[in-house]
Amino acid sequence: MNSIYRAILTVFFLPYTLLLKGESTVHEWNQIVPENIDDLLKIQVRLQSLLPKVQGTVVSIEANDGAGSGVIVSKDGLVLTAAHVIGSSNKKMFVRLPNGKRYPAISLGGSELSDAGMLKITKPGSWPFAKMASQGSTSLGDWCFGLGHPGGFDKERGIVVRVGKVIGNKDETMQTDSRLLGGDSGGPLFDFNGHVIAIHSRISKKPDENFHVPIESFLANWDFFQNSKLFTLSKMEKGGFLGVACKETDDGVIIIDAIEGTAAEKSGLQPNDVILAVDGEKIDNREELTILLSSKNPNDEIKLEYERKGISQSLKIKLGARPEE
Amino acid sequence: MKATTLLFFLFWTPLLAQDSERNNTLLLADKFRLNGISTQKAFGKANENALSTTVRLTRNDKLIAMGGIVDSRGYVLTKASDCVGAREAETSDGKKYRLKIKKRDERTDLALYQLLSTDHVFPVLEWGDDNSTRTGSWVLSSYSMLKEIRAGVTSGTPRKIGREGGVMGVILGAEGDGVGGIRISSVVPQAAAYKAGLQEGDVITKVDGRRVKTRDQVVKFVGSNDPGDVVRIEVKRNSILKSYNVTLGHRSVTFDLFNRNLQMSGPVSKRKDNFPRIIQHDLPLPKNSMGGPLFNLQGECIGFNIARVDRVTIYALPSFLVRETLSKFLGK
Repeated sequence: MNSIYRAILTVFFLPYTLLLKGESTVHEWNQIVPENIDDLLKIQVRLQSLLPKVQGTVVSIEANDGAGSGVIVSKDGLVLTAAHVIGSSNKKMFVRLPNGKRYPAISLGGSELSDAGMLKITKPGSWPFAKMASQGSTSLGDWCFGLGHPGGFDKERGIVVRVGKVIGNKDETMQTDSRLLGGDSGGPLFDFNGHVIAIHSRISKKPDENFHVPIESFLANWDFFQNSKLFTLSKMEKGGFLGVACKETDDGVIIIDAIEGTAAEKSGLQPNDVILAVDGEKIDNREELTILLSSKNPNDEIKLEYERKGISQSLKIKLGARPEE
Repeated sequence: MKATTLLFFLFWTPLLAQDSERNNTLLLADKFRLNGISTQKAFGKANENALSTTVRLTRNDKLIAMGGIVDSRGYVLTKASDCVGAREAETSDGKKYRLKIKKRDERTDLALYQLLSTDHVFPVLEWGDDNSTRTGSWVLSSYSMLKEIRAGVTSGTPRKIGREGGVMGVILGAEGDGVGGIRISSVVPQAAAYKAGLQEGDVITKVDGRRVKTRDQVVKFVGSNDPGDVVRIEVKRNSILKSYNVTLGHRSVTFDLFNRNLQMSGPVSKRKDNFPRIIQHDLPLPKNSMGGPLFNLQGECIGFNIARVDRVTIYALPSFLVRETLSKFLGK
């Protein structure tokens, strides 16, 4: 989603949603905490009504060197998963639908930074697919449920479901207390609207603080991933380097610091500048900025558009090289 | 130094984020989480039932297993294979009782104990049928200290769990490389075959005196034994015949040495196979909290936790099986 669309949303829909909040009923699944058994029962009924609708979109992914999970998100068979499940681009793999049928697929792109990965079923067909949540639609405390095939496909057991809450959502990582096992990797996390909000990435030592790739990472880098480009950490080390520390806010990607001695500092970028675009490409999140910059080489020149104190500005900057740690 | 810190900040990745302390302040407060105190309170009567009818089974004050009170005379059901050596039971009101074992059942891995008390009438759990165990149903159990509950959902289709035979801990090579037996292509470090002295490259000729020519034969003959059984393996090593006694291991424990998941899972139940039927759920309970009852939203007991399989999977025996075994125990 680009920022113009976001701006439209903000202008037209924000007051409306504020109005709604005052009078409309709050669904239990959006309530921060259920208060009694009735609330819990409504959550259960909601979950059980969503399961049959979304389960058919969850696949088990089988490659030579292991198994993972994924979710179909388009009629023509695009599948979202984790980067560490696909490993590399243009790799032949198989996906298995819940009915046990196997279909050939090929890995597309992704990013090792967020662990987002994409593949496509190569057999033509009209595939069942899940809807994705739109950017910024997930908040801390939202109820969610994870689906996956831990340990590979098991027809008798079926798809495994676990319920939880969003406990952290920052930059390239979402955290939930929905429990995960390694083989769940690449499986979808749904909100209680039945939309995909994230992809399972890594387990934490604490069973109740697991890591997921937020859907925003896919949305911001969709074309890059779909064009079979895989952003690797080694590419990041060798690529162009600006030298800004950033954070994501509701206003966009904001500079926290322009590191001393880097291209960013030399060009005059300052904390609180909002980064709008690089070479005309709108920046939706921090990962997209990193991918764009690292895809350049040191000494390449970029055009950076940013906003300072409400005024849009533009700079030409010659990138440096990433300092070795 | 400053630059390094910022670099970390900018290119912080999920890989590095396993230590989540850095952004603790941004995480949802504990009490609002799935198993936070606020959510637990919402379970109301079910919460109270779970706490009042579950007991801790201990030895020297150390928790061995949990149990559920199924009769006002103090009869308690628990997981038989985990409860060996339990001497005392503690109820949620802090009272302690001596314990006496009454019966055991191999098929379900359940055992019946009695809390010894002259006058006490114990609160008994209410049974629920297992119709409510459709995937995605709320379930809860008492947590180890009987002060809190743990809640979650039924997470997979109820089913039978088959028997897992014992394993040697070797990877077998391909058939038909003209050696007249099956070659061991690798030996799992520290597993049964390794301890017995088998080596990579050995050609297996006989299992318990029976000549083997195919992989399937090796797998079948070895797998017909249980973990802990001793199997005699004859091999050819550099054209010399040798013979070894291998004490078989558990499949899950042996091959899970490679499995990072289980390294991060913490202890799992030794017996987690060969159950007539199970309900799968995702409650975060440790191994020594198996044997306790599982409840539904109405506070009815729908099963007994019978195996911790990994960090996200617990098997519970459904109530109809538990009641069937209980009737047998009580001679009804």
